[in-house]
Amino acid sequence: MKDIWTNRLSEYIDGELDSTERAALEAHLATCGPCYATLADLRDVVAHAQTLTDREPAKDLWAGIRAGMIPAVRPSDGPTVRPFGRRRFSLTVGQLLAASIALVLLSSGGAYVALRSGPSNVTPSPVADRGPRITPVATWTGPTDAAISDLQATLTQNERRLDTMTVRIVRENLAIIDRAIADARIALQKDPGNAYLNFHLAQTMRRKVELLRRVNDIAAQS
Amino acid sequence: MVAMLAAAMLVAVAPQRQTDTTFAVPAGASLSVNNFGGGITVRAWTENRVKVHGDVGRRGRVEVSLVGNTVVVKTGSREGAPSVIDLDITVPQSMGLTLGGTYADITVEGVQGPISAETVNGEINVRGGKGTVTLHSIQGGVTLADASGRIEVNSVNEDIQLSNVTGEIKVETTNGEILLSGIQSSSVDAGTINGDVTYQGTVTDGGSYSFGSHNGDISVSIPERANVTITVATANGDIDASFPLPMTSTAGRHRKTFKIGTGSARMELESFQGDIELRRPQEMRDRIEDHKRDHDNDHDHDFDNDHDSDDNDTSFSFHFDAGTWDYAARYAKAYAPKYAKAYAPLYARTYARAYARTYKRTYRDTDTTSH
Repeated sequence: MKDIWTNRLSEYIDGELDSTERAALEAHLATCGPCYATLADLRDVVAHAQTLTDREPAKDLWAGIRAGMIPAVRPSDGPTVRPFGRRRFSLTVGQLLAASIALVLLSSGGAYVALRSGPSNVTPSPVADRGPRITPVATWTGPTDAAISDLQATLTQNERRLDTMTVRIVRENLAIIDRAIADARIALQKDPGNAYLNFHLAQTMRRKVELLRRVNDIAAQS
Repeated sequence: MVAMLAAAMLVAVAPQRQTDTTFAVPAGASLSVNNFGGGITVRAWTENRVKVHGDVGRRGRVEVSLVGNTVVVKTGSREGAPSVIDLDITVPQSMGLTLGGTYADITVEGVQGPISAETVNGEINVRGGKGTVTLHSIQGGVTLADASGRIEVNSVNEDIQLSNVTGEIKVETTNGEILLSGIQSSSVDAGTINGDVTYQGTVTDGGSYSFGSHNGDISVSIPERANVTITVATANGDIDASFPLPMTSTAGRHRKTFKIGTGSARMELESFQGDIELRRPQEMRDRIEDHKRDHDNDHDHDFDNDHDSDDNDTSFSFHFDAGTWDYAARYAKAYAPKYAKAYAPLYARTYARAYARTYKRTYRDTDTTSH
């Protein structure tokens, strides 16, 4: 089940893939259910994390968590464990599992309250408070990418208010749009100045934003 | 007026299995309905009264009240999970409607006022509507006929069909086709990602028309005497017209512009993967008729839901690799009980109707051949 893209998902969420990789991953996501599900889980973890207040975990608990996470730290990160407070998540699937467990333990109820609280007009910004980050290649799609990222994080939080069938339909349709976006991006790589392709990409991204907004609205009203 | 209000303030929290109430409404009153699951059917009559009939079952309830100038109909449950309630409402012809539901099929017949209808899992079928008509569904087809005004129709995972509609039109779906026929409009904007877009209607001088798809074909009828500048763009498809097209410019290999007559109207046709076809109105009407016939047949016989020529063949096969099987099995195991519990009550009626129709025909044919 593990494929070459699985370990790149957190980089994708963090906007650290270059546009070619991003397009290729989005194309892959459109056809790979396990990766799509993992991505949803990962977003879930990130969204959960945003709802937490910073506090020191109990010493005995933290020791176990840290022990589970340190071996999986990438060599390039050096020996220093990145401070949790930065809210910067770049996780492998193994780390994701550890993080999920940690979050369940740490958030016990906090996340539940956040998700159960009334409809929020404030869109949580999963990228706003992460501190320094690698800036992706600047393109005109940047603001829309950010909006999509925010809305998707909100949907990840909200979708538990929706029934499973609706969630499935929405995910399938988001995947369809992602595939179209990936097609357009790949075509633009070959012909960057093409007005039609730029417009088509913009239109397709707008559709994704609208679908996400609409589903978030429905979830908020549920 | 007092009698009117008294009647309207009636709260029909009926202990019976059915609610039935009729009351007079003030001129210009509108109707707002919220029904979580079931059907909302609204018909028009010539009286200035509203009739609300609801099949509430054992646990359901229907509340009717007048708030300001709006008749508000809400459904609920006396206990436990929300009930599935079918509402049949009859209203004055010009009444404005706001209809909403989650698992609700919405049907409107003959109302000539503004209509707003929104559901998550359900079809919307409207005949009529005047002024602003807004129809939204996530998982359900939407059809609109004989409407006029400012039209906005939206689905996500199903088809959209508009016929004999006049006015400013905006239509959008993601995974479905769009079929627009008998349209009279100077402003049409229709787009989908996965599906064909077909347009048969007027092309008015000075008008603006935009049709787009990512994976589908675009087919548009151009009347003989139209004055229109057509911009056609496709990344991987072909362009075909059943009449001569005078090209005026080419921008790159993806975009071409043609001018017909004075070129006064603007039309943009764009498909990333699909073909673009320009046809004369009669050709298009014939094609739409064929399409509708095929579509009706598909609904009866398309077991594999692929709309292809094997639809009368009851044998079909699936090709899964091991990974897919594993994936399917895992999710089936996880979701089957949830789906069964949640959807059985909601879809039982719909399936019963569909299967009754199918098997009635099958058995009738069997009877005919056996005699």
